[in-house]
Amino acid sequence: LPSGLSQWFPELEVLDVSGTGLAELGAELLALPRLHTLLAKNNRLGGPGSLPKGLGQAPLGRSLRVLNFSGNRFAELPPDLLGLRGLQSLSLGGNRLHDIPPDIQELRSLEFLYLGGNFITSIPPELANLPSLSYLVLCDNKIQSIPPQLAQLHSLRSLSLHNNLLTYLPREILNLVHLEELSLRGNPLVVRFVRDLTYNPPSLLELAGRTIKTRSVPYAHSDLPQNLVRYLSLASNCPNPKCGGVYFDSCVRQIKFVDFCGKYRLPLMHYLCSPECSSPCSSASQSSTSQSESDSEDEASVAARRMQKVLLG
Amino acid sequence: MEQPVQTETCKAHSLEELVRILHRIFSEDKISVEEVQALMESYESNPEEWLQYAKFDQYRYTRNLVDKGNGKFNLMILCWGEGHGSSIHDHTDSHCFMKILQGNLKETLFEWPEKKGNGEMTKKSERVLRENQCAYINDSIGLHRVENISHTETAVSLHLYSPPFDSCNTFDQRTGHKQKVKMTFYSQFGERTPC
Repeated sequence: LPSGLSQWFPELEVLDVSGTGLAELGAELLALPRLHTLLAKNNRLGGPGSLPKGLGQAPLGRSLRVLNFSGNRFAELPPDLLGLRGLQSLSLGGNRLHDIPPDIQELRSLEFLYLGGNFITSIPPELANLPSLSYLVLCDNKIQSIPPQLAQLHSLRSLSLHNNLLTYLPREILNLVHLEELSLRGNPLVVRFVRDLTYNPPSLLELAGRTIKTRSVPYAHSDLPQNLVRYLSLASNCPNPKCGGVYFDSCVRQIKFVDFCGKYRLPLMHYLCSPECSSPCSSASQSSTSQSESDSEDEASVAARRMQKVLLG
Repeated sequence: MEQPVQTETCKAHSLEELVRILHRIFSEDKISVEEVQALMESYESNPEEWLQYAKFDQYRYTRNLVDKGNGKFNLMILCWGEGHGSSIHDHTDSHCFMKILQGNLKETLFEWPEKKGNGEMTKKSERVLRENQCAYINDSIGLHRVENISHTETAVSLHLYSPPFDSCNTFDQRTGHKQKVKMTFYSQFGERTPC
């Protein structure tokens, strides 16, 4: 970029340097206080020093709303970007990312995040702390599971997960009531009912913890060592509403199907406190109309009906 | 549509001219698929002529009606953001022509699922359509999924459907189960038409 950039064009609002072969964007950018859209697709950015230091503190850092770095060579999300508090739209599609840093939650204004076409294997739960995120694209990656915390993205309207390595989804996904688009094609989603039979019996510590919680045995923080106080605070409620139980580390994973569009069944993950604890809905066998009808009381079905226009690919 | 009485290779030099020639062709009793496909392919995409119809949506691809073809056909422009794709769908016994105006689209053809099918649908073939190419499909050929697989470029396509239809079936690739859906327009004649 020419070094006189901010002097010649101090009012510059949109800069498109896509397809110019740039390997780095220099400090010339930092002094552009009106620049809200920077497009630098299909370049050679990604190596050390691709981006100027101090991006978050510069005038540019406060003005930037839209950033498109798709089709470059980033192997990690550049930490310099995390200071862009006003950034609303970020695309790093078609790069070489292997993961998403938990600090992504610092991009407080982010509404649109495109990370399709990378090598991402997992999603940090901190991604769910982006309060305004409405469009999340994670297609064409190597993701094996979705953290249940993602259900906290209340503003999410569109979630793109196609062409990954998902075998199931967390049942919390049903809580995304504003979700209008969900793409799941090209994942090895389990079609038939699967029960995970490997169950590690609870330890004495866990049994004691369960008893304290379910019987509401009173205790003060001064009664117990700190580590046990903390352990007791980690109790999770069994999702079966008919069971009042809690569990700590020992739980059974069960894939349960929920009808979204009549005959479609999606494998959702349930955690139960023991193999004897049955899921709220009686076991799902082969899909049949009568089975769907008996599911109608199920709270999961109610939530599922709320998700009207789900795109199953 | 049947074989034409005489083969005429018309070239459309603008979108307006394309529409005019289509009106003329579709006013006849006999219409040839090859003629329509060749005509659509002959039009060299000029963004200035269709930019007014090309309205993108952040979340999914859009259908923008260009011409109602005197009731004989619908001509529309579809706008595909990065990563946007369609479900697997049929064409309600109509003819479907799809010409790329900008970018590339991947078309995956599928066999119709078995009547009692409960298994993965069978892929027949796939190809990437380039700018100005025009593809054709109808229900006897099979079903397809169309996607913009680019993570960096948007795509725009011009579609002709004859006779016009406003609903079709979408199919779950894993099971072959189908569901009827209504299709809507994001804009008509360049005006945004929310539904």
